[in-house]
Amino acid sequence: MLTLKDLRVVFNAGTPIQNVALDGLALHVPAGQFVTVIGSNGAGKSTLLNAISGEVTLDEGSIQIDGMEMAGLSAWRRAGHVARVFQDPLAGTCEDLSIEENLALADARGQRRGLGRAVRRERREEYREQLRLLDLGLEDRLEDPIGLLSGGQRQSVSLLMAALRPSRILLLDEHTAALDPRTADYVLALTRKLVKDKGLTTLMVTHSMRQALEIGDRLVMLHRGKVALDVAEPANKGLGVPDLLEMFQRVRAEAISDDALLLD
Amino acid sequence: MSKNNCQWRNWLLGASLALASAATFAQSVAVVSFVEHPALDAMRDGVAEALAEAGYDQNNKDFSWQFQSAQGNNAVAAQIARKFVGDKPDVIVAIATPAAQAVVAATRRIPVVYGAVTDPVGAQLVPSLQASDTNVTGVSDALPIDDQIALIQQLLPQAKRIGVVYNPGEANSVAVLEQLRDKLPEAGMSLVEASAPRTLDVGAAARSLIGRVDAIYTSTDNNVVSAYEALVKEGNEADIPLIAADVDSVKRGAVAALGQKYHEMGKQAGRMAVRILKGESPGDMPSEGGTELELYLNENAAREQGVTLPQALLDQAAVVLR
Amino acid sequence: MSAYAFWGAIEVGLVFSLVALAVYLSFRVLRFPDLTVDGSFPLGAAVCATLISMGWDPFAATAMAFLAGALAGALTGWLNVGLRIMDLLAGILVMIALYSINLRIMGRPNVPLIMEPTVFNAFQSEGLDDMLLRPAILLVVVIAAKLLLDAFLRSQMGLAMRATGANPRMARAQGVPTGGVVVIGLALSNALCALGGALFAQSQGGADISMGIGTIVIGLAAVIVGESLFHSRRLVWMTLAVIIGAVLYRFFVALALNADMIGLEAQDLNLITAVLVTIALVVPMLRRRRRS
Repeated sequence: MLTLKDLRVVFNAGTPIQNVALDGLALHVPAGQFVTVIGSNGAGKSTLLNAISGEVTLDEGSIQIDGMEMAGLSAWRRAGHVARVFQDPLAGTCEDLSIEENLALADARGQRRGLGRAVRRERREEYREQLRLLDLGLEDRLEDPIGLLSGGQRQSVSLLMAALRPSRILLLDEHTAALDPRTADYVLALTRKLVKDKGLTTLMVTHSMRQALEIGDRLVMLHRGKVALDVAEPANKGLGVPDLLEMFQRVRAEAISDDALLLD
Repeated sequence: MSKNNCQWRNWLLGASLALASAATFAQSVAVVSFVEHPALDAMRDGVAEALAEAGYDQNNKDFSWQFQSAQGNNAVAAQIARKFVGDKPDVIVAIATPAAQAVVAATRRIPVVYGAVTDPVGAQLVPSLQASDTNVTGVSDALPIDDQIALIQQLLPQAKRIGVVYNPGEANSVAVLEQLRDKLPEAGMSLVEASAPRTLDVGAAARSLIGRVDAIYTSTDNNVVSAYEALVKEGNEADIPLIAADVDSVKRGAVAALGQKYHEMGKQAGRMAVRILKGESPGDMPSEGGTELELYLNENAAREQGVTLPQALLDQAAVVLR
Repeated sequence: MSAYAFWGAIEVGLVFSLVALAVYLSFRVLRFPDLTVDGSFPLGAAVCATLISMGWDPFAATAMAFLAGALAGALTGWLNVGLRIMDLLAGILVMIALYSINLRIMGRPNVPLIMEPTVFNAFQSEGLDDMLLRPAILLVVVIAAKLLLDAFLRSQMGLAMRATGANPRMARAQGVPTGGVVVIGLALSNALCALGGALFAQSQGGADISMGIGTIVIGLAAVIVGESLFHSRRLVWMTLAVIIGAVLYRFFVALALNADMIGLEAQDLNLITAVLVTIALVVPMLRRRRRS
């Protein structure tokens, strides 16, 4: 499980373009929960994920995963606990490497890498099994460079890579945003299946309120670097997008009255 | 297995003979220079002249000559050495230490005459300066240091601190420096070093000596020779007399030089090559040194650098430039 | 071209194929433009020649040269990863420093090996001429280096290194300590280069302080010529390609040396080599264009 306390991240501190991306954000995610994260631009969604994965250093606050403090650890050290799928399908895979080599890289995540073969026969079967789930015929193309695949296919493989090894947290950073609607639906369906089958604790950032309502156990809305809304089981509560928008406006209004002295 | 080896080698030799030049000459000389440069070019021309004087020139149908330059590159020198060995000349003349080393490493059989190598024993070209009993002999351009120091004393009796600009990456220059380090104190003088690893460092090295030396002496260091004008500028401005080891530098602004005549040394090497062509073994020929030194003086430079040229030197000089 | 010149080109080419493998590893696999090689090639020669002249066994001396190269590469890596100095600059800094370090190691600008034991004269010719012995030994060394490098790049660490070069952010997301991997990669690359330098000095008659100048150009030329010959970018072929590229480049030099037949002179060597290399690059490209 994931516990975030008083996270504070400020970009360009002390300059005219100072930006407080996270402003004392706090959140607790129990094991196995699927949380969707929404918010307007600049609310701090991506910064939140970057802070958890370690790509951004915290100015203040603590990030604990299963009781282990993550703040202070570099990104690669956390990778064993935190699996990630980027928004850009090209960023999450290595186009010069083959499909099986990409999977082998993910396979070794969190472990010490030695001089043994990267792609081992036993694991190859496992890769094939996983790829069969995608139903894209990729299991027969293990040695093809992944650069030959389409964005949607690469994103699907990225998901598999993220789920290949048991990790404590799965971070999904608008991972369907760069895909066409049909492929996006496919990848989303795959996401739900994988998260359910493996019981992964997941934080999914999405721009789509519809997605956020339909998927997941919990909806969190960020605003100005803090948690503004926290709704459990939004699907069960029969909430629709208009309801959400109303809540959103209410939050923004409240926020404005709080910071009345600040210009928006 | 060895039969296959033999067949393979025979095929190779046959193929290479087919590839080789159609015409074959009775005798040939192959000359390699590590880099091209006035002194080394003068040496090469001297070799050609000596050969021509003995009848070995382009008019002689039974003789061929080839010249290659390694352009300052060790890998190219290595390939030239191997090419020469394959061409089977009667003599190889190798000018400058890296070229000579490449050639001697490539063959223990073909006679080699080295030139413009200051320390042939240190370079392991020959075991000693006596007749080597190997395939190597040659002409060393080591300057008799005592004569150089004597020149400095004659020119500048009051001088105590002698500055030297040199390239620490050139074997010849380092050899000269070490000799100076040993011999200058015996003559009551001290040595001040300034290193110039690249030609563009020469000016800065000279500047670093201003105020610390009574004169600047330089050897036939390649960097210094290439950038001598930079040295002259500093010497003229700071009134520091410049003494060189090659006569070309006097033309460019040094006060005096007691130098080797590279053309003459070239002829010496050429004469050794002729003896080998006529049947002598290089192993029976001791290494030679440049025998003729010539003194050049420059009165204009003397004025600029605040030196009075003693009459005794003016009388001895081969050439006095106004 | 005589047999000697032919085998001479192969011999020098095989030495520089180690440099080509080193440059392939740094420039292509790690995508790190590493100029340290201009310093680590003569470093290997300096260490090896100096140790041999002090009485060391030539094989041990060659091994020490390999290690010295690794240190130089690791230094460049540390400057880049630890001190955040730009990659190109880090390599240049170490290259410049190595000039003085090499002089210090040798004690003088030239350390001859003509009368010293070398790894080559350790194998007394048994029916093989000297002309064939050295290329044969070098061939064994180069093939061993290629196979070991191929195996390494197939290993977990090697895959991590390839990912680090191709997509460092993704590599880190997969738990690869990219900083450490860069240091190891540069160490390995420069160790190979220093090995080349040590073998070159032993086949060449000695180590000379100026022998490093232009090493990077030769290495890159070999990589580029090799890549233009092979279409597949698969590792196994690429490591072979750069070896062939290095040898081919030396062939061009050997051909240029023989060009006096067509009236060209010694000073035209560089021009002729450049022309030949250009032809080698253009012809495969034209062929590919015609095919498509």
